[in-house]
Amino acid sequence: MRDRQKGLLELLEKSGASLYALLTRLTLREDVAEELMQELFIKLSNYNGLRKIGNWNAYAYRAAINLAFDWRRRQRRAFFSLDDVHEAASNDCSPLSKLIHAEELQEILEAIGRLNRKSQQALVMRHIQQQSYEDIAQQMGKTAHQVRALCHKAINRLRDMLGSDRKETYDVQD
Amino acid sequence: MSKIDENEILRRLELLSQTQPSCEATERAINRARLCFKWGKVTRSYKLKSPSPIIKFAAAAVLLICAGFLAGRLFAPQPINVEQLRAEIETSLKSSLAANCEQIKDELYQQVRRDLTQFAAQTVAASTTVTDQRLIELIQLIEEARMRDRVRVATALEQIELNRLQDKTQLGNGLYSLATRTNEPRGTIP
Repeated sequence: MRDRQKGLLELLEKSGASLYALLTRLTLREDVAEELMQELFIKLSNYNGLRKIGNWNAYAYRAAINLAFDWRRRQRRAFFSLDDVHEAASNDCSPLSKLIHAEELQEILEAIGRLNRKSQQALVMRHIQQQSYEDIAQQMGKTAHQVRALCHKAINRLRDMLGSDRKETYDVQD
Repeated sequence: MSKIDENEILRRLELLSQTQPSCEATERAINRARLCFKWGKVTRSYKLKSPSPIIKFAAAAVLLICAGFLAGRLFAPQPINVEQLRAEIETSLKSSLAANCEQIKDELYQQVRRDLTQFAAQTVAASTTVTDQRLIELIQLIEEARMRDRVRVATALEQIELNRLQDKTQLGNGLYSLATRTNEPRGTIP
């Protein structure tokens, strides 16, 4: 039990910031990311099969991705009121571009949420977390080539989904 | 409909990858997670969603309506079976009628006879009265006609008498004149 806590504390110290950043990118809300971070570590500390896991880091990232997309799914089903609108985490300052970027990011995250788990994980690790194919392959237990193929397929699928979902185009000029 | 190309998707993914939480938020999240499995303390940063008051009222209203409906169905009197009621009344009437059939027949016969007699008497009385009235009217009419005829005959007789008197006067005058002229000398006669 103590070993587990120690291992989790090490994981938190080592990858906590990165996991939190990942959760923030996937939820676009710092408060929700904070909550999911807590939930993630509760889940990890309560998981009985933790000894069987070879790579805790990879498992934590996978769990974080799943938690974030589960939250997005719940949000889709939930009622939405004006009180729930929070400012999205973004580095841009212009209100108009902030709005546009937020909309674009929500759209792509919704589409990623509809991919299967493997594609989701590969795409997020590669294109959002900017990890190398080799690292991702190691975490997923696949070859780099397979991960590349997964990412490529995921991008194609996203293109199809976003293309078919898009009803009309609009240009915003400053 | 336009398709988003791969570059656009990659651009958005890159935008996502550039999103960074603030240092304070990161520290806070790590501390919370640390506390969480160190002390087993779970804290909530965002409020749990509770249904809006409108939904609560709507749910309460639906529940009340359902409860009322069920209570109404349970405690409402059973609907009357009209066919059964009719059959029971028919049976009861048949049995009572069969028992008193002869008596009812006699009573009915007597009643009909009484009614017919009374009706006949009333009809005859009414008829007699009307006949008498008509006869009186007829007699009056005949009397009036006779009176008118008498008046006319009397008027005619008076006229005849007047004519006779007038003729008599004229004849007397003529005879007088003739006699007067007959007694005068011949030469004076023109």
